[in-house]
Amino acid sequence: MTFFLPVMAGPKGFIKPMHKKRKPVSHLFMAMNSPCDIQVDGDDVHLARELGALAEAEAHRIEAKYSRYQENSQLSQVNRSNGTPVEVDTEMMALLTYANSCYELSDGLFDITSGVLRRIWRFDGSDKLPAEAEIEALMPLIGWDKVTLGKNVVTLKPGMEIDFGGLGKEYAVDRVLMLLAEKTDSPILVNFGGDLRVSGPRRDGSPWRIAIESVEPDDPSAATLGIKSGAITTSGDARRFLLKGGVRYSHILNPRTGRPVIGAPRSITVAARTCMEAGIISTLAMAKGPDAERFLRDEEMAAWVLR
Amino acid sequence: MQLSKKNKGRVGATLCLITANLFTVTGLHAQDITDSTNNPSAQDSAESLNVYDQPASTPGTTTIDSAVLFYKEDGGRIQAIEPMVSLTHNTENDSVFSAKLTFDSLTGATPNGAAPWKSSQIFTSPTRQANGDDENEGSTGASGGTIVIDPITGQRTLEYTADAFMLPLDSGFVDQRTALDLGFTTPLTSGTKLSLGLNGSHERDYNSFSGRASIAQDFNNKTTTLSLGVNYEHDVSKPFFGTPTPFSVMSGDQKGPSQNKNVLSLIAGVTQVMTRNWLLQFNYSYGSVTGYQTDPYKILSVVDPTTGAPQTYLYESRPEKRTRHAFYAGSKLALGSYVTDLSARYYHDSWGINSITANMSEHIPIGDLMYIEPGVRYYHQSAADFFTYYLPSNVALPLYASADSRLDSFNAITLSLSGGYMINDQIELYAMVDAYRQSKAGQKDTLPGNNQDLKLYAGTNALSMMTGVKVKF
Repeated sequence: MTFFLPVMAGPKGFIKPMHKKRKPVSHLFMAMNSPCDIQVDGDDVHLARELGALAEAEAHRIEAKYSRYQENSQLSQVNRSNGTPVEVDTEMMALLTYANSCYELSDGLFDITSGVLRRIWRFDGSDKLPAEAEIEALMPLIGWDKVTLGKNVVTLKPGMEIDFGGLGKEYAVDRVLMLLAEKTDSPILVNFGGDLRVSGPRRDGSPWRIAIESVEPDDPSAATLGIKSGAITTSGDARRFLLKGGVRYSHILNPRTGRPVIGAPRSITVAARTCMEAGIISTLAMAKGPDAERFLRDEEMAAWVLR
Repeated sequence: MQLSKKNKGRVGATLCLITANLFTVTGLHAQDITDSTNNPSAQDSAESLNVYDQPASTPGTTTIDSAVLFYKEDGGRIQAIEPMVSLTHNTENDSVFSAKLTFDSLTGATPNGAAPWKSSQIFTSPTRQANGDDENEGSTGASGGTIVIDPITGQRTLEYTADAFMLPLDSGFVDQRTALDLGFTTPLTSGTKLSLGLNGSHERDYNSFSGRASIAQDFNNKTTTLSLGVNYEHDVSKPFFGTPTPFSVMSGDQKGPSQNKNVLSLIAGVTQVMTRNWLLQFNYSYGSVTGYQTDPYKILSVVDPTTGAPQTYLYESRPEKRTRHAFYAGSKLALGSYVTDLSARYYHDSWGINSITANMSEHIPIGDLMYIEPGVRYYHQSAADFFTYYLPSNVALPLYASADSRLDSFNAITLSLSGGYMINDQIELYAMVDAYRQSKAGQKDTLPGNNQDLKLYAGTNALSMMTGVKVKF
């Protein structure tokens, strides 16, 4: 007859959510050619704004230093060196050393000198493939093994270029997350154009919900991932390809052949502890082409492959 | 195969090391990586979600929930159909307004408290017409009763018969109930929440009004919540024939005036988040009931102390005071989208009823959009001190006595299955079915004499089904 204190009473009185959901405070900006989103799950809006500004500054710092498009970037100095040794700071050196390890670890499939291939491969959905001669002309400029790393000095062969495209954004996400996590205990999500990392579960213990287009493209309602810790990155882009003679050329290039990877999935989404790890694994899986799934299985990674 | 096994996780493991090293070199400690991602296992770090993992309430939304419940007791006893509609509005600043309207329609038969006998028994009660009440409803044979007119006085009474060996049932049971509940919850300060509510229900023979207030306070970074609540209820019992004097002889005469009952309840609870997947809840509730608690429709057989034959039927009598205590403990454990719910409750009241309830259910996601939740509940209660199946005619009347089966000792098992399906972001269909089975606990009493074949226990089995739709916008 009486509905008595339904929140607390009775054996059936448990309600499912532990705490009612608040929307995290979101800070949006553009960096590295991507929409960036910093979410802080806390009540302190001022702190959230402060953290957002800090994140934005860090993202722009990394972009200004490692972008190959910005003439004044430290990377551009390296790329313009034309064979002369360039002195780099500790951070750049650490990133180059990291890239070196990835190159060795992947038997040359991950190579930050392969960016020059983009001069001739333009993945615009058309059937315009580069000529054999064009590819052959570029191959001498590709190969991390041609790079010499010294103590705070890097030397490229003339004409070679380094591209942090497969590393920079992931590095920025991890750095920003760790920077912010030093400032607050509130749960944080850092999302730079789909490469993202969280500091932990949300305040109420629930996962962050993230829409990932590439997980289930045919079923929009299922295209949501929950993430309570770690990072997620996606490699591949279903809209960037070349199509000639019935062959679909993915925009993932094999640095060893100078040609697109044949049989690569359309996209691979990987979850790992850090954005860098997730990013490298998803890039490598892509480069494995038809063996992408087996590679991910052997690495025991949580991954979603879209073919 | 050997090769790939050997290489298992090689890239990932190395990456892990060099990444930690990178952030050490670039000024952020490797420790940060493990600190901020507290469980590196891949399965935990990302999981496909079932839509039911979402919280039920989202700020700035309104939910309309409409459902209908069917309830049916075995043996042609009570049947009920209960449509309900509720509206919940979650404001942007975390307040919640709710309103719920319920309508019940009950028909059927209910044990009248008399003991069965080897020959048929006739029971006499007032008719509705005597009171100028609704002509159609207490008068027809549909209810199993017959209107008897006294040729001298012209008084009309209702007689109904219980067949030999059968548990006597009052089959004229028809009622409608309308209930409205209004609730409001709002945060007062950060971590403090106030809830207020009002409830009213109306039946032809019963009105109930109640008001409630509770306050909940979060502590320890919202991992502990203490709550205190109070509820006050005022009920009016007004059977169409009035309220009978306790232990008066059952008759077709009009009875006394309507009677009131007041209930004061207090509840104190604590909810503790143990880990991010595990929640414990404890509460204690105290209730003090004063006033008329007798069931005006229930009677007792006065029987021959040697043969067990019924001699007369008396209206029952219950104490005007009842004090209740209940302790509740519950645990909720989530493993991904699976949620295991365990709870136990102990209850004691001053009428001598002790009960325990144990409940277990498992929330199981099916695909992304569906869940099912099987559950089982066990309940046991001891009989009230004044519960008796009959009164022997050679013994002086006790102060209180009732043969209401709800005050008997019994065990009950409920098996339930509920489920839901999110058609889209806004619409959810849900359904529930549960089967309730009651059995006598302890020794089965018999009537005096050689009457082992007369079953005194009047417990019931029931099936209920509910189906509803929730629309959120």
